[in-house]
Amino acid sequence: MKNGKRIDDRLPNELRPIKFEVGALERADGSCYVEHGGNKIMAAVYGPRAVHPRHLQQANRAIIRYRYNMASFSVEERRRPGPDRRSVEISKVSRQAIDPVIIKEFYPRSTIDIFVEILQADAGTRSAGINAASVALADAGVPMRGLISSCAVGKVDDTVVLDLVKEEDNYGQADMPVAMDVRTGEVTLLQMDGHLTLDEFEQALELGKIGCASIADMQREALIQKYRGKEDE
Amino acid sequence: MMKQEKLDKTIVVPGDLLSEDATKAAEGTYVENGKVYSLTYGLADEKEKVRVIPLSGKYLPAIGDVVIGMVSDVSFSNWKVDINSPYEALMHISEYPRRIESSEMAKIMGVGDLAIFKVVDVDPSMKIELAPREGQLRVLRSGRVVEVSYTKVPRVIGRAGSMISLLKSKLDLNIFVGKNGRIWINGKAEDEDLAVKVIKRIEREAHTSGLTDRITKLLEEEKHGVHEKR
Amino acid sequence: MNDVIAEIKRDYIYELAKRSERADGRALDEYRPIQVEVGLIGKAEGSARVKVGNTQVLVGVKIQPGEPFPDTPDTGVIITNVELVPLASPSFEPGPPDENAIELARVVDRGVRESGAIDLSELTLPDGKVWLIFIDVHVLDHDGNLMDAAALGALAALVHATKPCERYGYGPDAPLPIKESPIAVTAVDLDGEIMLDPSLDEETIASSKLTVISGLQGALAGMQKSGTGTLSVEEIARIVKLASSKAMQIRDDLFGGSTDG
Repeated sequence: MKNGKRIDDRLPNELRPIKFEVGALERADGSCYVEHGGNKIMAAVYGPRAVHPRHLQQANRAIIRYRYNMASFSVEERRRPGPDRRSVEISKVSRQAIDPVIIKEFYPRSTIDIFVEILQADAGTRSAGINAASVALADAGVPMRGLISSCAVGKVDDTVVLDLVKEEDNYGQADMPVAMDVRTGEVTLLQMDGHLTLDEFEQALELGKIGCASIADMQREALIQKYRGKEDE
Repeated sequence: MMKQEKLDKTIVVPGDLLSEDATKAAEGTYVENGKVYSLTYGLADEKEKVRVIPLSGKYLPAIGDVVIGMVSDVSFSNWKVDINSPYEALMHISEYPRRIESSEMAKIMGVGDLAIFKVVDVDPSMKIELAPREGQLRVLRSGRVVEVSYTKVPRVIGRAGSMISLLKSKLDLNIFVGKNGRIWINGKAEDEDLAVKVIKRIEREAHTSGLTDRITKLLEEEKHGVHEKR
Repeated sequence: MNDVIAEIKRDYIYELAKRSERADGRALDEYRPIQVEVGLIGKAEGSARVKVGNTQVLVGVKIQPGEPFPDTPDTGVIITNVELVPLASPSFEPGPPDENAIELARVVDRGVRESGAIDLSELTLPDGKVWLIFIDVHVLDHDGNLMDAAALGALAALVHATKPCERYGYGPDAPLPIKESPIAVTAVDLDGEIMLDPSLDEETIASSKLTVISGLQGALAGMQKSGTGTLSVEEIARIVKLASSKAMQIRDDLFGGSTDG
């Protein structure tokens, strides 16, 4: 960090440029393409639909499945396709970030499948994936108490910063992805890697809330624009 | 928060605050701490009650619904029917108007056949039972089926059936609209093509006003065009 | 349940085919609108997004130095993989590539390799290593005819690609040595009627499918028949002729005749 500006010239509390495109896919029930800094992510939702294999189904509610997957060409060194341990963990925490707001009781014996494909990765993929997934769920008409918004906060050069970029993620002192239902302030995802004092943690959480609130506005706007644009036809 | 023009129907997303009066809550909403919020991505409709009409989503059958289903399997005593829902429906052999043997089932309705059914039971675990709509089982052997989101069905039918009547008056064909978003049309090829075009347009513009007028205009224009082309 | 097509839809498509018509109004040899966009994935050395109608694939080409295969020390390596990720279709399940993914990958690979599109002997490096070229096809939306979209994406991504020589200390960056331009054209047989660029329904209903990959001079670089139906020799000859000329047309429209950059 130099003169209060970060490696990509941003201020500590500034998000990278973000773009949402709702309904980017034809076959999926709901979809959302997100560009967040250098991240390029496609999220899609299928469901509610029948569960196969049958033994996974729950008698009185839908199950939620979330699959975070990185394309081979999404990272610097070509990556072997398929889930690795990191993808499996991210899939789990992401699922648990969104599950709380979905009204699963409306759809017993079914599954709501969420697929997030990382087409290009540039730090903060799990957060960007969750943001895209929330919008895709809304696009699919899945009933939810609210949208989940996510961002990563971190510490670089002893400063708490919002939305780490790749270099900050690699060389920084802490990385803390957080997700929440902005309206209620309820946190649904919280992970921390690195070290923060209690004070720094509180700052980070506050910054995270602000970041998530901005993102919630963007998610909402993107969904409204999808139909707004059509009204002008 | 972004400001939005107030139309008589506003586009809302899950979690949007709709009203501070909990007694006004209706479909598509939930109540928390005395306030009403949207449950889905849809159009908020505020009259005496506040409800949200979804823009997308899966069809959930209710008793009494009349739907167009496709047979996906024939078992010993049931036809398994795909009704474009997360849930498969069954029509029991005993629902067929006359007594038949199990071996006759596939000939009456086999895999891939479409028919008009009535939903006679939906239990809490979403086990769905069908019966023929009334008396005779109507298997659709000709024509085409168009699929739209079930959320657009009311628009395809129109207020007091106005849209569907419009289509029937301008086009020479049979139309049947299933509650599950499947629409059967059967008539002259050009009229079927035009009907598909119109239905897809209604689906795209269902949330806008003045649609009936635009569709009337479209039908007039296309009908003249059709006669000139062929 | 997804694979069952309504009988009346099947009947309708066959009826139209008998009159040389198609459900979406296309001519029998007409393609849906093709869009090719290169460079979407900056991190990949080459990338292309191809849309054929609503079918959408994203191809990333990664180029890295590596060890050649022991029996061909002076030859670069091409590895092609196709991921039919579950978001692209209700019938795709998570997991390792199934027979469809593998078939797609191997046919795309054959097209690139057998056409001589890349001279592998030009991929050697001074220190005994060679360039490894990974062609990764990520299918995003399956609305029929993944083969042609994937093959086109692979070609476009390869043409767009740059060898990252500078990054590894091998001198200045340079494009790949592309010598040919293989284009895949897929046809289906619907009760004797041949149609190109099958839609999802046409593909599901057809008994046979034949993909023909041809190069700049119309020479054939690959073929693949799939499906449980049969094709007569005359039908095959007809398809090959149709496919070759259609490939020329597609190449002209998209690359202005050649792919020499």
